[in-house]
Amino acid sequence: MIGIFVFLASVLTLVFIYATLATILNFEAGWGGLWDLGTAGLLAVGAYCYVILTVESNEIIFSPQLPVWAGIVVTSIFTGAVAFLIGLPSLRMRDEYFLITTFAFSVVVLQLITTESSITLGATGFHNIQRPFDDYVSTRSYNFVLLGISTFVLITIWLLIRRLGRSPFGRLLRAIRDNEPAAKSIGKMIFVTRLKVFVITGALIGAISPMYVWYIRSLSPHMFHVTLAFTVWTALVIGGIGNFWGPVVGALILIGLTEALQFLQYSAEYAVLLSAARPIIIGVGLIIVMRFRPEGILPEKHSFKNARKIIDYQKQI
Amino acid sequence: MIQYIFFGLLTGSILAIAASGFALIRQVEGFLNIAHGQYMLIGAIVGLSFMQLGVNVIFSGILATLIVGLIGLLLSWIVFEPLRGKGHLVQFFSSIGVAFVLYGLILATWTGNGIKVYPLNFGNNFNFGFINFTFGEIYVIGIAWSCMLFLHLFLTKTSIGLLIRAVANNSTLAKTRGVNSSFVLYIVWFLSSGLAGLSGVLVGALGSVHSELGWQYILTILAVSVMGGVGNLYGVLASGLILGLVMDLSSLFIPSKYGMVLVFSVIILILLFRPQGLFSTRLQQRES
Repeated sequence: MIGIFVFLASVLTLVFIYATLATILNFEAGWGGLWDLGTAGLLAVGAYCYVILTVESNEIIFSPQLPVWAGIVVTSIFTGAVAFLIGLPSLRMRDEYFLITTFAFSVVVLQLITTESSITLGATGFHNIQRPFDDYVSTRSYNFVLLGISTFVLITIWLLIRRLGRSPFGRLLRAIRDNEPAAKSIGKMIFVTRLKVFVITGALIGAISPMYVWYIRSLSPHMFHVTLAFTVWTALVIGGIGNFWGPVVGALILIGLTEALQFLQYSAEYAVLLSAARPIIIGVGLIIVMRFRPEGILPEKHSFKNARKIIDYQKQI
Repeated sequence: MIQYIFFGLLTGSILAIAASGFALIRQVEGFLNIAHGQYMLIGAIVGLSFMQLGVNVIFSGILATLIVGLIGLLLSWIVFEPLRGKGHLVQFFSSIGVAFVLYGLILATWTGNGIKVYPLNFGNNFNFGFINFTFGEIYVIGIAWSCMLFLHLFLTKTSIGLLIRAVANNSTLAKTRGVNSSFVLYIVWFLSSGLAGLSGVLVGALGSVHSELGWQYILTILAVSVMGGVGNLYGVLASGLILGLVMDLSSLFIPSKYGMVLVFSVIILILLFRPQGLFSTRLQQRES
């Protein structure tokens, strides 16, 4: 019985990790209009930065062995700085060119991580990474600790993003997204605003990346496969881009469905089929939602009812 | 040196035909078809399966091309046709969905989970002073170049090619002039997927086949087509060749493990100075 709870806790943790990532992406892509495929790359930068800073290992040439909190802070700043450096060139481009540049960056980062094994341990990666409160609870019940951490992180990020979305800055973002010339004509700095969005996104991804490391418990370049960015995007698109609840609902449905399959894992015979079923579920879900409800399950307009009221009011005048 | 140019030409030719199909769809339908990489993988697998059944190389290649073309046609009819006019992002995300489904189906049905090699003999090694090559490699280059020539002639000399260019250029105008655009699009989908299937066979014949091949190649294809300027088919062909040369020549100067890093850095640099791609004509059109 307890086994089921442990399993459920682990599934929920993964759902919350994806929901957090999708929420951050929602801020960047949904309101900022930046179609970014480099999420996996930034997550990799954050995860590696955190592990290198905190791990106790003499296999790598640089290991300051910082405490966890300092590791998270420095990781967040570092990932934000990396995002700034990527943003400077790539934000000058539009639409699919921006998509490609961020994608290209993601590939370059993963390739560098694989080759620079003196600091990242290459394709082997790190194993048995030390996690906070590891000494106090058994490995089995650690899933509940992780569930608590991920719930806390999701709520914090969600509230932060909602605050940003409702602030004047959020309105500015949507204005730039919907009508760039109009925003420019009233003196808004398009490039600077986009760069701000990109850096905030990077810093937030850096701040949550340790959670992903704690969940997997090891770290290797395979964890940041191309499909990771597409999966986060799928969760966001299925749930509804621009809506506060969209990314959470999308992640719950998508990851919940794919992970629930593990219940069926009886024999090794089915293992291949089950690993194949995951991409099929993601794909079919994406195709069906795009076909019948392209704005997602929860459309953006539900989140900004008040804004709609103001516009209606102005129309009446 | 010349040897590396030869290998670069080989890689580049395959990249060029893979990316040309991708660019065709981008021109006519207006979105980036992420499933293109998986079409290549299907081509490679179908070709391999026919060869394992004992079919001749040439026939396996032709059959794989036709089958992948038909699969692409079928998927465009089921998935992409109802989405026309709903915006390119919807189509783009649907193509990601298609890519995921195909990838999952391949994982489920294709028994070989490891890396497989075509049972091919490329013939003897010929040595002409600086350069070593086999007949098989010459065949591959020949097939790739005749494909490009065929594509060029098809688009410029035949009436269907004319219709395709008309729809790509201005689909509303083409429709008002009485062009049956959905028929034209079927042709384009068949052509594009067929080219993907063929390039998959060539990739498999030269190298190896594994289940990640689709995801791996879609990155390079995206890079090639953006570098060439997505609106320009000949630009895409040229940039495929250039990128192939860069990939293979770079291993002369830097360790080969940095090849990918170099390629993508080159692309980012090119996009910085020419954000519309190397050979794009769009700006010139707008100015005139």
